[in-house]
Amino acid sequence: MQADSKRNELRQCIKDALANREARAAVQLARDLLAVSSKASDVLFCATCFAAESETLTRQAGLKRLRTYLVRSVTLEPVLPYLSTEAVFSGFFLDLQAGGYGSYVSELLQPDSELARFQPDLVLIALDLEEVAGRLPALCADGLGAGVEGEIQEAAARMEQLLRNFRSRSSARMLLHGLLIPDLTSSGDVGDANLPHSLTNAVLRLNQRLAEVCRATPDCVFFDVDRLAARHGRARWRDKRMFLASRLPLSAEFFLAYARGLVRSFATLFRAPRKVLCTDLDNTLWGGILGEDGADGIATGSAFPGNCYLEYQRYLKQLSQRGILLAVVSKNNEIDVLEAFQTRAADLALSLDDFVARKIGWGEKADALRELSQELSLGLDSFVFVDDNPAECAAMQSQLPEVAVLQAPAAEPWKLVDLVAEQPYFDAILVTDDDVNRLQEYKAQTQRMELARSTGSREEFLASMEIVCTFQSALQAPLSRAVQLLAKTNQFNLTTRRRSAAEVEQFLSAPGGQAVVVRVRDRFGDAGVVGLALAGNRGDVCYIDSLLLSCRVIGRGIETALLAWVAEQAVRTGARRLVGEFIATKKNAPCATFYADHGFVRCAAPEAASAEAAAADATFYEFDLTAARLSSPEWITLEGTEQHELSPSTALTA
Amino acid sequence: MNSPQVPPSLRELLADVFEISPEEVTPELSSATLETWDSFRHLQAVLALEGEYGVQLDPQRVPELTTVALLQAELEKKGVSL
Repeated sequence: MQADSKRNELRQCIKDALANREARAAVQLARDLLAVSSKASDVLFCATCFAAESETLTRQAGLKRLRTYLVRSVTLEPVLPYLSTEAVFSGFFLDLQAGGYGSYVSELLQPDSELARFQPDLVLIALDLEEVAGRLPALCADGLGAGVEGEIQEAAARMEQLLRNFRSRSSARMLLHGLLIPDLTSSGDVGDANLPHSLTNAVLRLNQRLAEVCRATPDCVFFDVDRLAARHGRARWRDKRMFLASRLPLSAEFFLAYARGLVRSFATLFRAPRKVLCTDLDNTLWGGILGEDGADGIATGSAFPGNCYLEYQRYLKQLSQRGILLAVVSKNNEIDVLEAFQTRAADLALSLDDFVARKIGWGEKADALRELSQELSLGLDSFVFVDDNPAECAAMQSQLPEVAVLQAPAAEPWKLVDLVAEQPYFDAILVTDDDVNRLQEYKAQTQRMELARSTGSREEFLASMEIVCTFQSALQAPLSRAVQLLAKTNQFNLTTRRRSAAEVEQFLSAPGGQAVVVRVRDRFGDAGVVGLALAGNRGDVCYIDSLLLSCRVIGRGIETALLAWVAEQAVRTGARRLVGEFIATKKNAPCATFYADHGFVRCAAPEAASAEAAAADATFYEFDLTAARLSSPEWITLEGTEQHELSPSTALTA
Repeated sequence: MNSPQVPPSLRELLADVFEISPEEVTPELSSATLETWDSFRHLQAVLALEGEYGVQLDPQRVPELTTVALLQAELEKKGVSL
């Protein structure tokens, strides 16, 4: 009864908040409501409220609106309210449309299909085993499995063909559902486990093949439904009654888990993972309080409860291995901490070298994160903060709302790993060499700053860095890295267009098209691929669609070298004028005067300027390529790919 | 119009499913007359009712339960005290 009155009160608050256009508050209240009661009717209520206020949500709460099309052979309509609600909680507003049951092939293949006309930003593909590889159950049944391998390969090839074909006409992001591994087959559990061609083994392999197909398709993610089924209980995941009667592929009990998993999967196609995890020490990285218990008294190591903390440390170490930066943010005496790391080294899975930085002292933790953000040149929205103290967590949340705050369960340290693992903050569908080398790169950055302090003039300093820029076609470097840069670069990004892999490829195939990336290294290390430019010619004018540089390397003349490179290519392909564009965002002020600083002059928007440019209030600049030459700074050595290899015709065949 | 015949919990649940106000949920309300009561909403309603009252409806009977009164009767037959 009390829960009911709380429900009704929250419902009223949500309605009021939306009516008053307080979108963020409404979203938070909806979260609260579903935390109190996750009944179907409450989810439906939230979905209905959100659907009616799409404008408020996208404008006020900054939700990313996605035209989302569901290509399916199963009934998912009852799940859609869960999906749209979970999407809102993750920062997306879905305009959903579901396709017909039997039409997925023609929808993906035909240029005038309902799907194509919908012009989706995101396509969700949910097919059942019957459609993907309907012959498998029969082929597996005899236990010998002749033809099973062939069917798996054919099924994967068919799917690849469908995705490729659709991809050739659309740059929409795609999510492909994996298959549910059948349970209780005619081979029995023992047969399923032991026969090489049992149906469960066959579908497991098919899933792996489908994941490979997704990896090979730009902007496509594989959604492993079976993993969710296994986690939540395969016996209950699919309600056979509802599947056979209504083709509902999962039991209503798991709609929420499914929706959450699905949103978490596609979110990685639109947003870069967070990059830094800041951890508290006392009762978070180890048990107890260093200042009171001493280095010998803190809990860490192989015995309980120290092993809970050891698990957490190992988890952090693993995150750091794929490029997540770790930082210590703790209220302690630094000397005590150094001692603890030294004397308890055998009981700790992390050493101080594993941390990119440490902020140990008695100041505000929010200030520590602000400093870290500056020192690492990373936005606060790249940070995750873990601390057991509720007051510290609340202070961080209110002072720096961009930071993701996780409160460590001090009384239940065995939950530490799950606390971090359950969050999507570090989800990534690919890891590049640049990610893996990030810790070394940031350490090199610190050395550079020291050098800068010890050298006289800027020129002298830059010359002593021995910077080398290597220009490559975006196809020669991993294309995924180019897209990663487009997705996550904010500060030095002139137009902030989040181009997809397919769009980058289009630049290379267009006349005079350029999709060039720049790798940078210096005497301290290799920063990897840190910059990108997309440009294309229209007549004798070369338009720069995108030009961006990772903020880690700004201010060393690399931006000038990149621009000079683009200009040179433009001249080679017959351009007489170079036109650049600046679209102001909240974050890209550092490059506002970029074109003016390089001798460009303001000009009118070109007639061919896209509608999106006009809408975004772009400023255009032009440079007369026949009158002057843009040159790269003297202190930068240019090397690598010969220029002729970058010509459009060669890039096309690359 | 007030409809004391439909128990409040059922009324509110169906109102959420069909995106109407609880007052509109009368025993006579039917899929034939309510535009938002299509086959998908029907399935949605059945799933929500099953979850709310902890019962399973017979899939063969489900398509016939096309009015609020019929849904209510079916639930009561399953032993749900509304």
